[in-house]
Amino acid sequence: MNEHNEKRHMGLKASTRISNTVIYILLILMSVIWLIPFICIVLQSFRVESTWQVGYVIPRQWGWDNYIALWNSDFKRWYLNTFIIALFTAALQTVIVLCMSYTLSRFRFKMRAGLMRLMLILGLFPNMLAMIVLYRVLKDLGLTQANAVPGLILVYVASSGMGYYVSKGFFDTIPKSLDEAARIDGATRAQVLTKIILPLAKPIVIYTILTAFMAPWGDFVLARYISFGTSSGMNVAVGMYSWLQLDQIGQRYTMFCAGGVVVAIPVTILFMCLQRYYVEGVTGGAVKG
Amino acid sequence: MASVKLTKVKKIYDNKVVAVHDFDLDIKDKEFVVFVGPSGCGKSTTLRMIAGLEEISDGTVEIDGEVVNDLQPKDRGIAMVFQNYALYPHMTVYDNIAFSLRLQKLPEDVIYDKVTNAAEILGITEYLTRKPRALSGGQRQRVAIGRAMVRDSKVFLMDEPLSNLDAKLRNQMRAEIILLRQKLDTTFIYVTHDQTEAMTLGDRIVIMKDGFIMQVGTPTEVFEMPRNLFVAEFIGAPMMNIIKTELLKEDGEYYVRPFGVKLPVDGVKGERLKAKNAAPGEILLGVRPEHMVLAKEGDAGAIPCRLEVNEMMGSELHLHVYTEDETRMIVRVPTVGLETDQREALVAGAKLYVTFEGKVMHFFDPASEENLLNE
Repeated sequence: MNEHNEKRHMGLKASTRISNTVIYILLILMSVIWLIPFICIVLQSFRVESTWQVGYVIPRQWGWDNYIALWNSDFKRWYLNTFIIALFTAALQTVIVLCMSYTLSRFRFKMRAGLMRLMLILGLFPNMLAMIVLYRVLKDLGLTQANAVPGLILVYVASSGMGYYVSKGFFDTIPKSLDEAARIDGATRAQVLTKIILPLAKPIVIYTILTAFMAPWGDFVLARYISFGTSSGMNVAVGMYSWLQLDQIGQRYTMFCAGGVVVAIPVTILFMCLQRYYVEGVTGGAVKG
Repeated sequence: MASVKLTKVKKIYDNKVVAVHDFDLDIKDKEFVVFVGPSGCGKSTTLRMIAGLEEISDGTVEIDGEVVNDLQPKDRGIAMVFQNYALYPHMTVYDNIAFSLRLQKLPEDVIYDKVTNAAEILGITEYLTRKPRALSGGQRQRVAIGRAMVRDSKVFLMDEPLSNLDAKLRNQMRAEIILLRQKLDTTFIYVTHDQTEAMTLGDRIVIMKDGFIMQVGTPTEVFEMPRNLFVAEFIGAPMMNIIKTELLKEDGEYYVRPFGVKLPVDGVKGERLKAKNAAPGEILLGVRPEHMVLAKEGDAGAIPCRLEVNEMMGSELHLHVYTEDETRMIVRVPTVGLETDQREALVAGAKLYVTFEGKVMHFFDPASEENLLNE
């Protein structure tokens, strides 16, 4: 009997090992394929012997020339614009989304279901449809071209309440008795949100911050439309796109790669700092399971 | 410490369902009142209206003479223990208990004293640095009680606090709640669906059904003088046996005739029937299982039965018997008085005889289900 169990155990072990090996090989292959373009861009950004595309990957001459050129170009302005837009949008949008989600999760009021349905339907329309109207409104407010930064922040933040689905779903899983216990303990609604709900919803708060930061960070279509050819109002995506025009690409290709690396840095740092909260479950022990 | 007064309190939900109908109750200072009833009877809803967690549709709730209908839960001077503990999972036990005190902005040394004192009373001092997920069910419930204790509230509300614990722990915690009540010496309102908890804990019990109060009284009152059939069946375990029979009056004396056996209604019950001059006729006769006794063939008033199930409970036997007309009854027999051969004879299919005295009988009107002896 024992021998039989041992054999069975050994058999299981061997099959697990084989399937793990296959899975790891596949994952490594996928990672390599996925990482190649990034590695190429990083390598190109350090190439100084030519600013145009070449037939090899590893630079023959290495240097910081492209980064120095970036620093001396309009890129600085675009980067700052993008950073300001992303930062303000992330902060305001996170506050609005979380408040909206908490309200829809915890309060019962007339037309609550209707409002949620309306927002869902509105969200199904592509943003592009509103672009002409948005441009007209922002132009009348004087928030286009050189003033595109506050204009873009306004547009990104204005519709943020509609992105409540994920966080509302998460809040719904937090027992309402915790709110009630806190209210009896003397907490206001706002304190219930900040002291009880948000610490328990850390993964979703992080998710909201990340998505709120990333969307304007990489936006191109709306940003290009609102800045409308004025360099001082552009973000990095729109500004760097101008380097890809035929008349510029010869001199700007390696600079473009360096710009790509610099653009990726804050997002990478942000994600690395916050990603561990994604997987952290903190609700254990709250109520009888 | 405070009195609580509910006057014509009503709860109507948005879908027009009436959960609580005109609830009137005066709870005295330092009294321990238990709301008991089956699921959906409105007991928790009433408690939540007192707590301020549920809007009051009509009527008033007064705490210490002040109408609190429009006050926030935190301003009502109440503390509450929830059925599912509702501990803050991201905080340690210490922080859980200290939460309300920190919101009051008390100095840290005062908070420390209060928390450690409560922890000592509840025997959870060694767990103060742990998170709730590292505690057992019983320990979590103690933390929940500790959290309510430190608030020095006027009224202590408990919503089925023991229903998530296993039977052994529940008995232990029940005793601890009695001790806690002695230590805190404050007003308690306790909700449960368990009649044993209600009987052992409450100074007074409020028995509810479908949003209505069925009876309010001390444990002895509701047990000995149930106002209606529902209370009679709800209080006491196993449930009271109900027998459809008739009440007879012969020469000024009352009799009942269950299963064709004529039994005199003597003792207090007989006197009270006479005093009320109860009309003879169809009645529902109630007899508690512990008031039925085994008899011998030929004894006066012996009702012949067939034993179907014999449940051995340790100190007593629960005999499920069927009469000749297939009416099911339960008889509770203490094992201490039984000889071995008597006990061995109590097997499924055995024929046996039961009887009961007049003083243990309860009489209910078959139509209204009210007790015929109600004042």
